[in-house]
Amino acid sequence: MKIDKTVRLETVHIAVGELILSVLMQAVFLLIGKWSYTVLLGNILGAFGAIMNFFLMGLTIQHAVMLEEKDAKAKMKVSQMLRTFFILIIALLGAVLPCFQILAVLIPLFFPRITIMLRNIPLKKKGQDGGGEQGE
Amino acid sequence: MLELAIGIILGCCALGAGAAMIAGIGPGIGEGNAVASACEAIARQPESKGSVTSTMLMGCAVAETTGLYALVIAILLIFVAPNMLVNILLNAIG
Repeated sequence: MKIDKTVRLETVHIAVGELILSVLMQAVFLLIGKWSYTVLLGNILGAFGAIMNFFLMGLTIQHAVMLEEKDAKAKMKVSQMLRTFFILIIALLGAVLPCFQILAVLIPLFFPRITIMLRNIPLKKKGQDGGGEQGE
Repeated sequence: MLELAIGIILGCCALGAGAAMIAGIGPGIGEGNAVASACEAIARQPESKGSVTSTMLMGCAVAETTGLYALVIAILLIFVAPNMLVNILLNAIG
């Protein structure tokens, strides 16, 4: 199975964003004096879950765009359900096992959203400077 | 009486977690519609496949966050909130 160039590139972008934001989160935990190895392990688990979720979504989209509309819709729904289940397992591991700090597992799950938001800010500015010719 | 109060706390947390997960239905439907529209767009203009896939990937990731919020709230309600609320109750009783 060949992975599409777009999917690979976007996953790398998300992974880099995840890494930067994870370092920031560790720094915040260190500053408030709540840092321990459980925070680091939780962060690794949460980041792995978030990146894998994004990558699997990319793979599903790569396959779905080749299908008929109806089949694509159904494939996406099933994929979303399975990925939610995967994230649920990650979150449950973080909550149940004492070697993971639950907040450090849950917070990195939102980092892809923050990365996308931060990436879109320069594009929006560029669009405004160019008289609104370029949107997001 | 104390057992009843703890039972109500646990029951309400479980109900809240279940209610929160209703929000998990939305992203699946939204992503399905987005991909269906993207299929149509790519069928019309096959040369725009790369940009359509990239934009859709970002859109789906943003849409999925809603489901993740619901999941996180549910997990916190099941694993974190009961202990915290029971401790508050026990401290209040003394």
